[in-house]
Amino acid sequence: MASSSHSSNFPCAACKFLRRKCMPDCVFAPYFPPEEPQKFINVHKIFGASNVSKLINEVAPHQREDAVNSLAYEAEARLKDPVYGCVGAISILQRQVLRLQRELDAIHADLIRYATATCNCNEMPPPMGRTCFHHNTSGNIYYPNPHWNEPYEGNGRSDGGSL
Amino acid sequence: MTLKGGATSACAACKYQRRKCIPECLLAPYFPADQTKVFQNAHKLFGVSNIVKILRSLDPSQHAEAMRSIKYQANVRDRFPVYGCLGVIRQLYYQIQMLEEEMHTVLTQLEMYRQHHHHQQQQHQHQHQISSMADDVISQLELGMAPSNNALPLFNQVTHQPYTMQNTYSSSDIDSPPKDNVENNSLWIQHLFLDTNNHGTSNNDSPIAIQSQLLVPNSEPLADTQHQVVQDYDEIHPFFDSIDDRQSYIDTKDAEDSSRAKCSSEESLKETTQLMVGNVGSKDLKNAAACFSLTSVN
Repeated sequence: MASSSHSSNFPCAACKFLRRKCMPDCVFAPYFPPEEPQKFINVHKIFGASNVSKLINEVAPHQREDAVNSLAYEAEARLKDPVYGCVGAISILQRQVLRLQRELDAIHADLIRYATATCNCNEMPPPMGRTCFHHNTSGNIYYPNPHWNEPYEGNGRSDGGSL
Repeated sequence: MTLKGGATSACAACKYQRRKCIPECLLAPYFPADQTKVFQNAHKLFGVSNIVKILRSLDPSQHAEAMRSIKYQANVRDRFPVYGCLGVIRQLYYQIQMLEEEMHTVLTQLEMYRQHHHHQQQQHQHQHQISSMADDVISQLELGMAPSNNALPLFNQVTHQPYTMQNTYSSSDIDSPPKDNVENNSLWIQHLFLDTNNHGTSNNDSPIAIQSQLLVPNSEPLADTQHQVVQDYDEIHPFFDSIDDRQSYIDTKDAEDSSRAKCSSEESLKETTQLMVGNVGSKDLKNAAACFSLTSVN
């Protein structure tokens, strides 16, 4: 949570960890309050302070807080699981999505069967449109959208993904 | 540090860092020289030192998987600079929620269909049961047997009993009985008592009333609703009266009247026996004959 006011007497978590003077224009201060030291420690351990600083400066000011929070999340996930990090969670969720889609397909088939059997004249609602996920597995991990293993060749940067 | 001519091409990591790519380079297997963009993304997010630090903290057998996840994470961050993999996770959570909601809706709809289907099956079974029991009763009637008591309530339950006498008997039919007495009489009774194929208005008294009239002599006249039946039934109604009115035959003192009645009743008996179910039980005939034997005595 970004602090609304910054005081030089209280350095931010980043400057406190880096043992430097926290300047008024410190890029980390709004996003790493001194009450949350572990947040910066995790981010620094995985990504490094310089990389985080560059990433913060590359996004719009109103999106920086979200960017820092996402980095903090990914850093914590990588510390907990050094092999897969947050990609492990993505794999689990993607498998769940596929399982639900299969179950839904089966239920739709039953529904059509019953509707046909009872000579129901009402048209069956078409199944909801679903995103086509690629079945790209490597070992035990599932990587949704294998194109993301390749660099993004878009003309411009996206605004940070849709949520 | 530039590469010497003829040396093996450096990996993307060493090429970016402009250093000699040694054979023991940790990143060489995962960042080939032709994937510079991938390395740039990984380097931008993690940094070479941090990647090497992660790899060194892991078992060599886990290096491949770890590098794959690192590259994936870096590419996602390059695609979505603000939310990165967290955005993908949130998207998946949202998809799961939508799928679960859809599944709940479809399951509810499926349950409705199942209940409706089950209800229809029960109705069909009930109708089949009724028709089978009706067939049993009809067969019993054809054999001249009184239907079982449990069949009568079944007839009561059959609310749609049309009394359209499709095979009605006219006066001419009485004189000229059909060729196949059994079949025609069975049809007559079948249409008279039960028509499971048609669905008409409920006639509560008609099946039981007519049935009782045929089998139980002292019955009340038919209702007006069965006008057509009554109209045809009048043709043979007097015969039943003559057959069943035992007291009148026994008590009468007028022999002529009794003989006349006897003759007429005998004739009517013959005709009615011809008209009635051909397979009328001998017991009924004996009972009928007993009346005349008594009257003949008198």
